[in-house]
Amino acid sequence: MRKIPLDRLKQIAGAANVLWRPEDLMLYEYDGLSTQSAPDAVVFPSSTEQVVQIVKTAAQEGIPIIARGAGTGLSGGAVVVEGGVVIAFARMKKIVEIDVENQRARVQPGVVNLDLSLAVSDYGYYYAPDPSSQKACTLGGNVAENSGGPHTLAYGVTTNHVLGLEMVLPDGTVAHTGANYWDRPGYDLTGLIVGSEGTLGIVTEITVRLSRRPEAVKTLLAIFDAIPHATRTVAAITARGITPAALEMMDGFTLRAVEAATHAGYPMDSAAVLLIELEGLREAVEEETEQIEAVCAENSAREVRRARNAEERDLLWRGRKNAFGALGRISPSYYVQDGVIPRTRLPEMMDYIGQVEERHRLRIGNIFHAGDGNLHPLLMYDSRDRGECERVTKAAAEIIAKCVELGGSITGEHGVGMEKSELMPLLFSADDINAMKKIKSVFNPRGFFNPGKVLPTGKMCGELRVHTGAGGQLAERG
Amino acid sequence: MPNVAEQLTAQLAAVVGSGSITFERSACSAFAIDDLVPQCVVYPGSAAHAAAALQYASNNGLAVVPCCNATKLSTGNVPRRYDVALCLKGLDQTRHYEPDDLTVSVEPGIRLGSFQELLSRRGLWIPLDAPDGAGSSLGGIVATNASGPLRLRYGAPRDMVLGMKIATVEGKVIKTGGRVVKNVAGYDLAKLMIGSYGTLGVIVEINFKLYPLPPRRVTRAFRATTLSIARDFRRKVLDSPLSPSRMILLDPGGSAIIRAGAPIARPAEHYEIWIEFAGSEAVTHRSLTMIEGIAASAGLAGHPLEEAAADGGWSRLADFASPGRRGPEDVLLKVSLPLSRAEEFIECSLREAGAAKVGHAACVQLGVGIIHLCLTPEERASELLAITGRIRQAAVQRGGALTVLHCPAGMKKNIDVWGTEPDDFPLMQRLKQTWDPNGTLSPGRFLGHL
Repeated sequence: MRKIPLDRLKQIAGAANVLWRPEDLMLYEYDGLSTQSAPDAVVFPSSTEQVVQIVKTAAQEGIPIIARGAGTGLSGGAVVVEGGVVIAFARMKKIVEIDVENQRARVQPGVVNLDLSLAVSDYGYYYAPDPSSQKACTLGGNVAENSGGPHTLAYGVTTNHVLGLEMVLPDGTVAHTGANYWDRPGYDLTGLIVGSEGTLGIVTEITVRLSRRPEAVKTLLAIFDAIPHATRTVAAITARGITPAALEMMDGFTLRAVEAATHAGYPMDSAAVLLIELEGLREAVEEETEQIEAVCAENSAREVRRARNAEERDLLWRGRKNAFGALGRISPSYYVQDGVIPRTRLPEMMDYIGQVEERHRLRIGNIFHAGDGNLHPLLMYDSRDRGECERVTKAAAEIIAKCVELGGSITGEHGVGMEKSELMPLLFSADDINAMKKIKSVFNPRGFFNPGKVLPTGKMCGELRVHTGAGGQLAERG
Repeated sequence: MPNVAEQLTAQLAAVVGSGSITFERSACSAFAIDDLVPQCVVYPGSAAHAAAALQYASNNGLAVVPCCNATKLSTGNVPRRYDVALCLKGLDQTRHYEPDDLTVSVEPGIRLGSFQELLSRRGLWIPLDAPDGAGSSLGGIVATNASGPLRLRYGAPRDMVLGMKIATVEGKVIKTGGRVVKNVAGYDLAKLMIGSYGTLGVIVEINFKLYPLPPRRVTRAFRATTLSIARDFRRKVLDSPLSPSRMILLDPGGSAIIRAGAPIARPAEHYEIWIEFAGSEAVTHRSLTMIEGIAASAGLAGHPLEEAAADGGWSRLADFASPGRRGPEDVLLKVSLPLSRAEEFIECSLREAGAAKVGHAACVQLGVGIIHLCLTPEERASELLAITGRIRQAAVQRGGALTVLHCPAGMKKNIDVWGTEPDDFPLMQRLKQTWDPNGTLSPGRFLGHL
């Protein structure tokens, strides 16, 4: 067992800010992926300088360092693979600067996504990327994962809204990438670090762009009696060149669970709904609403409802954003997948997911960012049923393989993390992966920042690294 | 130095196919950088050829500069060595065009202008008005992250590229990203390549996200007598629900360019603001009504522009910011600032230019904070170096940076065109060292003489 320099960590962050008793560490054994593995210690620094000291201490001993925000990630990015020290950013949650005229904010990584939008809302601004977990997830985690969200369809994902970073490198140096203005000369390291899942540096400060709130917002609920009607509508909206702010789909199975939990007003007897949001000038929103209604009608929508006020709109979104939780009411466990396909292939893909569901005797709910082609099949299972656990993992792997076959990707916004590192060869050749390894060797040559993530370890070739059974360690098959 | 010419003819021609390489002086001169003329031009016919040529060059200590139409070769520090111009003109095919998915993958040699033409047949475009779009290749635009005033609403190439293929000095063609609009699988190497000026690898295929062409575009031009009026206007627009597609401020010199296409000796005394809205009839109509109200309240006098006049103006402006279109004695600068500091910066640079009796023409991308500034010698060309230094200082003092996009070869020897190195520069050095250990790609041309 490796020796953790607890005394030194306590000296750096204060005794109260270091957790090391097994019962205290239990909370940090997992994130949103169903996999457990305990760190050796958790430290809560309150400044960049403390992060530097922690990193230097860990470097001396060769101890892995894993950065963690709120632990809402869905790919095991914040879970240790082989022990180590977790740097949890719960105490670094200051909004350092809000510069409205320049449309910028500078924040510490522990700031909760929604809190930033709330802090600038009086000025008529917000922070655009809105992961469904935005009430809890942190901006540091968003940067690590390059998070998306429903409204990234029109406004882009995290990387399109981050201009600069402060980060700590494995040797304890602090580097500043980017700036608060565009196009600082040099390589775009900010663009490289965003989405690198804590494997290249520990981000300690983030400069983001703030966006102006639109004048008008309209939320529509299009109701369908058959899933293909809904998927064809999505393809038609894209092909007509209408870009809603958000275009989300929920199948009948999922919406019934959501409705039972949130009473958002989703029709219990429908096969699928599309939640569509339009934003902009009043005139644009009016016109696009009519266009969308026409496309929906052409594709056999049963009905298109308009949210009449902010309350109705919030309710519809509450249903969508709390859907994962609602599913907990009907199934002991579920496994969320995150694949991407070209949007025109949506009808075909949904058929395929239906076949997988049948073949493996599972229930799969679908609630996803349809406008981006970013799927989130939710595979229901009972972790006490060993056979079902195995079928779930197999089914998920088949769905991901199909996404790749259709020209898509293994992950749209949840990240590769631990879960999909061994699936990277589905998308990338050995040469492609070697190029990424070279990048890693530049930033993290000894590999002790978030080891075992993103790049394939070669240990479980081609398999999802997820543990769907109860308790125990990460499943190591293959 | 071995006899490069002989070595290359025998070996490189075998690698890239004979007929794909020329040693003719005139062909080589077309790709000269300042006083440096390459010894040959290689025209790869495929991505694999490009990779093979790079590998050959790397193994044999030759320096390669990727290029296409030579519109941006004058940007960058003078390379330490320059043997081979790797011209990607021949890679000009559209690979996967999925108009219904709003994605396309293309080779780098296609020019932006012809690409837009192709897309417009399906009612699509990429909302990019990079300098000299008619003459610039997509590869060059992406490699330099070149953008124009449309950036205000749509972003830069960085925001439109979904993935790419890159030829490396190891002779490989590697892939990053994909062809779907959302993708977080693996490190985003495309971000590294975008804006790296061909110093890490050669872009051989690019996947773009596409956008529907707006049904209508309308431009209004306004005159402002002072910069503080312009600032007031910019604040009011950004504080309104309007989302203009472009919004620029021209100083008197810049105003002459947008109208006449060239600096004129005695420009008018006023500043000019051009603002464009895109969208449906109802949207553009409402936007114009609102903008006229804002302009009046800010003290601006405005007038509508015929579509043709507006299009001509916008395209002259794009050409103005193109290094390849500036005269040999001109200095073209790109200044990036926190957007609120743009107007006061212009005030300062105008003062400096006036004192030094140097011609000054500027285009400020309001709301973005990017300024293109052209200095022309009127009396003493020697003033240009000193005034560029002072203007750079003004940009840095206001929290920004200045890049020299184009200047006389003599001046370049006495100035670092990129400015000082930031504290993440050691990482950039290590990246360059790892990806291009023999210094094959554009050695010395980029920031910090990478």
